[in-house]
Amino acid sequence: MTLQSQLEAYLTRTWKTPARVTMISRIPGGASRETYRYDVEAGGRTRGLILRRDPVGSLIDTERKLEFAAFRSFHGGGLPVPEAVALEEDGAELERPFFIMGRIDGGKAQSPFTLPPYGEHAAAIGQQFYSYLGRIAAADPLTLPIAEATPAPSLDGCWKAALDYWEGVVEADEEHPQPIVRACIRRLRANPPPSARKLSVVHGDYRTGNFLHDGAGKIIALLDWEMAHIGDPLEDLGWAMEPLWCHGETDRVSGMLPKAEAIAIWEASSGLTVDPAAFAWWELFASVKGQAIWISSAKEYRAGGLKDPVLGLSGWYTARRQDVILADRLAALEALA
Amino acid sequence: MTPTVPELLMGNFLCLMEPPPPESSGDFLQSRIGVTGMISLLCAQEAERGIAARVWENGAIREMLTAAAGAYGHRFADAAKGEDRDLSLAALDAANAALRRSLIDLHIAVEVARDAALDTAIRGLYVKMADARRLDLPPLPAG
Repeated sequence: MTLQSQLEAYLTRTWKTPARVTMISRIPGGASRETYRYDVEAGGRTRGLILRRDPVGSLIDTERKLEFAAFRSFHGGGLPVPEAVALEEDGAELERPFFIMGRIDGGKAQSPFTLPPYGEHAAAIGQQFYSYLGRIAAADPLTLPIAEATPAPSLDGCWKAALDYWEGVVEADEEHPQPIVRACIRRLRANPPPSARKLSVVHGDYRTGNFLHDGAGKIIALLDWEMAHIGDPLEDLGWAMEPLWCHGETDRVSGMLPKAEAIAIWEASSGLTVDPAAFAWWELFASVKGQAIWISSAKEYRAGGLKDPVLGLSGWYTARRQDVILADRLAALEALA
Repeated sequence: MTPTVPELLMGNFLCLMEPPPPESSGDFLQSRIGVTGMISLLCAQEAERGIAARVWENGAIREMLTAAAGAYGHRFADAAKGEDRDLSLAALDAANAALRRSLIDLHIAVEVARDAALDTAIRGLYVKMADARRLDLPPLPAG
């Protein structure tokens, strides 16, 4: 059976009306899951949808239930987040776990490899990008559907939960010894940050490339919530400003705004203030998390028979860029006392 | 560092020779071809610089381990013994893996001893190691 006929069988059964799928096309991006856009005609109506199906190998090991819950948490709440339509954890007619979400048309995602990424619209996009992130941080996660899909750490346990997780990924997936990221992990563990000021939904992969903009300065969709969890909101802020996503620029974060301006927008939107000492910890953590992902990519690339070039590029070129960032960050830290 | 150049070029071949299903033949295939092109471009850099970078890094780690052996134990001097006679990427990577493991152990010992001077020296070595292995992707124009 083709994917198109599998989808038609699934939608016809669950919607209890004949469904016809057209224009199905796999789209690049969203590397942790196979992502397809398609139209479905059912009940006299045509609707644009997105299918996210678990791959055989993946850039990031994530729970589709979590991503689905994140969409449910923020769709319709004033942020440009697609609607969560259906979740099938056993795969049903599609053989592998998947979920379906609403499609937002008319936008494009920017590759982290392009320069300049947003041209004359950089500041306008940056204003929305950091404002939206502040609104995610401001929400009470315990009142949202995501609380049903992931545990909430204690305020002073956020950093440890995050560091334990990504150190575990390095331990499990490292195929060539990585002294730089290991030194950074030890430094983070020996110098924990102040306790989180509040618990927030952490998007987990909030960065350049994971949102759609309309080409005229407006963000129209916040995507790729597959690493969402509950934690310290500074985790997302550090990840958003990770130099890997800055297109080689040193005077603007995310290729959008000066760092101080971006932080001010986030603070105004979230109602929180950024503790510089805590944020320095989360910035180094972001680079560690990045390297853990690229280490996993290299392992998955081999395990998958070398067939996914995105995994290959991530586990090689991106890993080396990340090592440069990590080594520079580590060298800039104070000497041992 | 993984994956290796032979793996990446083999991967490019495998990726391009397998016909995609109909739903993957549009933007997705175009993107994959673009990524394989980027890998090929970067493999050319690795072919040019990779051996020199590994020979330098192995030598630099051996120097660090040898210099620290007096204070931190002869096992580090033992780990630094040998030289890179086989200049294939595979042989250099195998030697590098053993040297990096010893460097990790040394750095941990240095941190436990609160040896600020050697810690700073090791962190400085990391900067040079990362820079020596850097790959340069030219910025792509925004679409």
